[in-house]
Amino acid sequence: MFETALSAADLIFLAKGAGITIVVTAISVVIGTVLGILFGVLRVQLGPILSAPLTLFLDIFRSVPLLIQLVLANSFIGMVLKLQLSGFFVACMVLSLYTSAYCAELVRGGIDAVPGITRRAARSLGMSWAQDMRYIVLPLATRVALPSWIGLALGVMKDSALVYVVQVTELLKSTQILITRLQEPLFLLLICGAFYFIISFPLARFGGYLEKRSSND
Amino acid sequence: MKMLTLTAAFVAATGIAGVAHADKLDDIIASGTLRCAVVLDFPPMGMRDENNVPIGFDVDYCNDLAKALGVTAEIVETPFPERIPALMSGRVDVGVASTSDTLERAKTVGFSIPYFAFEMAVTANEKSGITSFDSMKGHTVGAVAGTFEAIALEKQVNEWGEGEFRPYQTQADVFLALSQGQLEATVSTSTVAMANVKTGNFPGISVVGKAPFDTDYVALFANRADYGLLNYLNLFVNQQIRTGRYAELYEKWVGGDLPTLTVPNAYR
Amino acid sequence: MFDYTFQWNQVLVRLPKMLDGALVTMEVAVLSMLIGITLAIILTILRLSGSRPLKAVATGWIEIARNTPALFQIYMAHFGVASFGIHFSPFVSLLIGITFNNAGYLAENFRGALKAIPDTQARAGRSLGMSQIQAFGYIILPQMLRISFLPMTNQMVWAILMTSLGVTVGMNSDLYGVTQDLNALTFRTFELFAIAGVIFYVITKFITLSARIIASRLFRY
Repeated sequence: MFETALSAADLIFLAKGAGITIVVTAISVVIGTVLGILFGVLRVQLGPILSAPLTLFLDIFRSVPLLIQLVLANSFIGMVLKLQLSGFFVACMVLSLYTSAYCAELVRGGIDAVPGITRRAARSLGMSWAQDMRYIVLPLATRVALPSWIGLALGVMKDSALVYVVQVTELLKSTQILITRLQEPLFLLLICGAFYFIISFPLARFGGYLEKRSSND
Repeated sequence: MKMLTLTAAFVAATGIAGVAHADKLDDIIASGTLRCAVVLDFPPMGMRDENNVPIGFDVDYCNDLAKALGVTAEIVETPFPERIPALMSGRVDVGVASTSDTLERAKTVGFSIPYFAFEMAVTANEKSGITSFDSMKGHTVGAVAGTFEAIALEKQVNEWGEGEFRPYQTQADVFLALSQGQLEATVSTSTVAMANVKTGNFPGISVVGKAPFDTDYVALFANRADYGLLNYLNLFVNQQIRTGRYAELYEKWVGGDLPTLTVPNAYR
Repeated sequence: MFDYTFQWNQVLVRLPKMLDGALVTMEVAVLSMLIGITLAIILTILRLSGSRPLKAVATGWIEIARNTPALFQIYMAHFGVASFGIHFSPFVSLLIGITFNNAGYLAENFRGALKAIPDTQARAGRSLGMSQIQAFGYIILPQMLRISFLPMTNQMVWAILMTSLGVTVGMNSDLYGVTQDLNALTFRTFELFAIAGVIFYVITKFITLSARIIASRLFRY
């Protein structure tokens, strides 16, 4: 089973794919989180009725398969708007919005988890809204939302396997290219799976540890 | 009054001149790069060498086209189902991707004259006992999603009313499934079938015969409205044949009898 | 503004085919959830069992399901296991892939839910003369499923979305597969996938809303 035609060049090729996976994930998670916090706070501040259009918009990203989101964004930008954007750009854009939709939910949940009485106490101590947000809500909400956020970031990394449809050669696609040439599906798939696992598993464990710690005290 | 008409005519004339865009052909020459959609798991038309660099008939063809235009070629790998979306989304300028010029597709993209022609062959897993096209009846067969042969084969399976048709995303997946025994037979272009069987990567499969489908003429494609580019592509294909480059590339990648690209008793 | 001509007609005449595909998508998702929940309960029991090897199997399953892409799991269920001479049809491969994923995530949810149920309840059950299995089945399990109801709804939505990955293993009867086939035929990419997106949206909304209604009926106190 371990007699393989896999060469050093092929390993570098796989590593490049893994690099793309990480870069796409990192960009999308950073932008998606910033947007997600913005959207989440907006939704809480505006209330359910005023924020309905935003809620509906974000809901689409959680209710339509990512594969379809990518295909649609790609064909809309290129065919209808006739913009010349790279597949990499489209992939990051869609994944960022996708991340922000889930992140907004986490932020909203986190803010809701801060007891209203605590916030009123802060305001009655003379804190402004911004101070209340900065010193009371942010630390408490972060504690609630952080473990789920780590889960979300890892989810985005795994979902980034789908950006192959917009011609971005990430890890899984690189693996498929090598399978085409070397015809060793099981061996190559195991390498690919191991890579995802090695990145995802420790972080997931760390998230679990944070969750445990915050629920104990 | 006469003055007014003249002015109007002048405005109209400049207006029209102003609207006329630079042709796609000009854009390509100006940008210095020709981006070709090529399918890279379709040996010998498109594949990768041991350094994972694209090679094959279609890759050479794209390079020739770029040379003729005086620009550098950029090969954009596109799986079969993504070829047209890649063009429509402006990710590539032209498709050199062994694309059958069907009338249904021509409603959306513009095709050049054919630059290659495929015969369809049946490749079977030796354990299946399939020996010809007709003996595929009742078996599990497959082809690459979105190709000429997949559309024809699916129709045939439905006509037979038994057996199963499975489309896979790539040619490699089809042959992988075939050698694993998940598929019992496939219909593919004979050049691709020969090339895959010859690699020895897929034990236990062999080409068992021809499929009675029409010859599959494949053409270069570009946006439907880019007449300047399409005209250029037509002339380019013609020149490739005239100069013997077509025969040369055919010998290099495929070998054997050179398929004719003209249809008897037709104008084009 | 746009010089792209939308041709919705070409897509609308093919809508019945897409709706047939939507039914297959629902079928895969529902089956994968039913089997997935059963397996997740078994995994949870294995985790609670004292046996080390059984625990290792359960933990391994859950961690692989949660730490690798679903696309990878489905691809593995088709092309990976075939290296051992085991063949599954695209439908079964997709079902196995999604079920494997569902079971892993649900088992993790169940673990979280178990923490919310005090140990004393099981002990109270035991002291009433229930066997260990009875105590789990009558006291712990119903509460666990109730607490996990919302995560289960989310997983159901994910199962629906995951069916779109079936095309990589040769599936063409589900909604995404049908859409892709039609795309190969007509090349009306945007129109086709926009309609498919709307259908997916309606399905997932239908699921979340009906789950909310069921929840309000079942868990009224």
